[in-house]
Amino acid sequence: MRNAALPRFAVFALIAAAGLLPVFADGGDILIKNATILTVTKGVIPKGDILVVDGIIKEIGGTIAAPPGVRVVDAAGRFVLPGIIDSHTHIALAGTNEGSEAITPEADVGTVVNADDTAILTALSGGVTMVHTMHGSANPIGGPNVVLKTKWGRPSEDLVVKEALPTLKFALGENVKQSGRTVQPGQTQRYPATRMGANAIIRREFAKARNYMAQWDRYDQAAKAKNPPRTLVPPRKDLRLEVLAEVLRGERVARVHSYQATETLEFMELAKEFGFKIQCFEHIWEGYKIADEMAAAGIGISVFADSWAYKMEAAEGIAGMAGYCHNRGVLVSINSDSGERIRRLFNDAAKTMKYGGLSEEEALKLVTINPAIQLGVDRIVGSLEAGKQGDIAIFSEHPMSAYTRCDMTIIEGDVYFDREALVKEREQAEAEAAKKAAAPRDKGGVS
Amino acid sequence: MRHSLRGSASLVLTVLVINLVALTVLPPSAAAATAATPPAAGDVGPTYAIRNCRIVPVAGPAIEKGAIIVRDGLIESLGPVEKTNIPDDAEIVEAEGLVAYPGLISAFSNLFLEQPARAAAGPGAPSEAPTQARTQEPEEDRFPPGPGLFVLDQLKPKKPTVESFHKAGFTTVLTAPARGIFEGQSVLLNLNGEPLRPMVIRNGAALHINFTTERGGYPSSLMGTIAHIRQSFMDAGYYADRQAQYAKGPAGLKRTEYDPRLEALVPFVRDRKPVVFQCNNVEDVKRALKIIAEFKLNAMLAGANEAWRAADVLKKSPVPLLVALDFRPPASSLYATQGEEARKKAEAEIYPANAANLAKEGIGFALVSGSNGDGAAFLKAVRAAIKAGLAEEDALKALTVQPARYLGVDKSLGTIEAGKIANIVLVKGGIFDDKAQVARVFVDGVLFKYAEVSK
Repeated sequence: MRNAALPRFAVFALIAAAGLLPVFADGGDILIKNATILTVTKGVIPKGDILVVDGIIKEIGGTIAAPPGVRVVDAAGRFVLPGIIDSHTHIALAGTNEGSEAITPEADVGTVVNADDTAILTALSGGVTMVHTMHGSANPIGGPNVVLKTKWGRPSEDLVVKEALPTLKFALGENVKQSGRTVQPGQTQRYPATRMGANAIIRREFAKARNYMAQWDRYDQAAKAKNPPRTLVPPRKDLRLEVLAEVLRGERVARVHSYQATETLEFMELAKEFGFKIQCFEHIWEGYKIADEMAAAGIGISVFADSWAYKMEAAEGIAGMAGYCHNRGVLVSINSDSGERIRRLFNDAAKTMKYGGLSEEEALKLVTINPAIQLGVDRIVGSLEAGKQGDIAIFSEHPMSAYTRCDMTIIEGDVYFDREALVKEREQAEAEAAKKAAAPRDKGGVS
Repeated sequence: MRHSLRGSASLVLTVLVINLVALTVLPPSAAAATAATPPAAGDVGPTYAIRNCRIVPVAGPAIEKGAIIVRDGLIESLGPVEKTNIPDDAEIVEAEGLVAYPGLISAFSNLFLEQPARAAAGPGAPSEAPTQARTQEPEEDRFPPGPGLFVLDQLKPKKPTVESFHKAGFTTVLTAPARGIFEGQSVLLNLNGEPLRPMVIRNGAALHINFTTERGGYPSSLMGTIAHIRQSFMDAGYYADRQAQYAKGPAGLKRTEYDPRLEALVPFVRDRKPVVFQCNNVEDVKRALKIIAEFKLNAMLAGANEAWRAADVLKKSPVPLLVALDFRPPASSLYATQGEEARKKAEAEIYPANAANLAKEGIGFALVSGSNGDGAAFLKAVRAAIKAGLAEEDALKALTVQPARYLGVDKSLGTIEAGKIANIVLVKGGIFDDKAQVARVFVDGVLFKYAEVSK
């Protein structure tokens, strides 16, 4: 159902502009005045201003005078918050799964970014400024993921957040064992077909990667010698194992699609055995059963606020999961996993207040600073602080209110979504279309 | 006039046949010196004097009333008609009212290819849906047909296709394969008749790569395909290095296992033989550029109908573009996903300006027919590109000198100059005029007659 509710007139405007630059770009400078500022990390400023210069937040406080030429947005009565961050989605890609084989860490979603995906605009309409867009869950080891800013209208290379922590998608459970699939005549069941098989094949691949690293170490050592032997042969470079070697070296962290407690614990053992870092478990509806273990291991979770039990392994989900895990010390983020739910992550985060007992401030963290920490970008985004990037959303009401909506989304000081301007444009376009339809035809048609 | 205008292709072929027959009665020693398809020994192609036409040599300024002498398949001389000696043995081609252009070159086509191109897989599988496991297939089928395929072996030239391209002014085409990721190697052809072998200018002209997926197996996604392409080039480089190391001194070394796939790739990673990437949208252009830079390939980009959107990166890393005039927005493009109205508008107004925008940015390109097998339709698309702002002069260069240069045949093709191959089209009106009519076509000095010439 992606794109269904898209403000498509923004696209018409872009087509008209032909240059495809955002229509509302302000050169990275903006001053927002008279707003209630939810900094997330430094409390709430009931009425204050926030100044962004060259894409960076320069000042937050009481009253800031507008530097000459800087666009001023009066946000009196409205709420300003850091741009929302989606820790797990699949938008802006040409293809999600390399599902043909069980192990495909060479299949990098960073190579297939599609900046034309209108889900980017959908995300902006919900105040989302950054997404962790991921390989799918079709196989035990999928591929590297990529972190993007939702800079609609910019070329794809401008979207990529280079500061983000490199991640690799893993998946366990029903999807990878292809439990819902009927094997057609002529087809073979892909290995693994069980949860134990998934664990085994991942272990096997890491063992291979270890050997591969050792091979290269031996070669590099020998090649360094004064007179390396004439018969010295380097190992074959293998893209698949190169990525796993990055994980083993700690240069890339694991993001693991997982539902059930048992296999999750097993995967944690595997990580301990090979010494790699699990950054997050994804969805993890049985996470409440192992919250203390995850907290102790420093592993975060990226989950839905509700809508569990959509398959057997999600059957034991509980409404209070995210809030409970948060209270047990687990770093929790609420994700969309969707190009549509992505525009109401603030609503989803707010559900943890009702079903997890979180405060407004805590709930807002689940879609701002927490995902920023999970993605390794909390130095630059995730809260409103001087020195951080000017990724800002302006909401009509408190973002945890059921009556709120996003009015404006700003990335690095440039306005990428402006509800009022879009509505005006849409009305103009509709008026023009109506005028065109009402005009008498100059040539009579033949029946 | 010493001859009437009977000197058509069929006449030339008849002459060739007669000569072939003559060859059979020659002493065996004379025949032994020739290759498998013996040229007609002792035969010399006819001589033509094309006169009183306007000549647009592309290499220099136009000659208002000129003459071109064609001898034995080559251009012997050209100049103003009053300064040109018409040789006694020349058949006169009266061309008053016609304009002579160099034969147009399409540096990328699928002409004569029997096997239809397969559609690329669409993007965007749902994230949670497990994909189908692949059907069991024999290993050698998994990467059909592979870099070692020569498309020449699959071609079946047909007269109507040749005529359709002649009538659009084309004398030369590069025909590329159209299936798989490593699709195989193309052939450069001069459209001088129907038999295939005399047409070949260069077999194995380039290796063609498409960002598509494989049927039923790995890779099943674009990202897998990109990884597969990179791994293949890496492996080919490794294979070449191992062979070189072994050749230097085999003692103490195990020989590398023979791999026909990698063996076919070696000249492209090591000897800079040209590689052509099919680019179906703006992102494909960037994907190709990354791979080209990584493996230092001598590459061109074909299709490229959204190339103007990648102007910034193309200016930073210039690469020859073989721009197909297909104005349909690619499926992934924002111009295609906003409803029918926006898509149509883009097809009519935005995509035809691709070439004009590239020219404006100073980015070099050739215009190519691509999968379009209809010469007239392609010429119509060229006119649309001109209407969208492309200068006629630039369009002509993009169909003559520019592709000749890209294909490394600019010393023999692409302009009307003495010593070059006699590929000449004679047109009633400017070649890009709506009512242009191709009257005569010379390919390798073989004359084809089309529209009647009014005296």
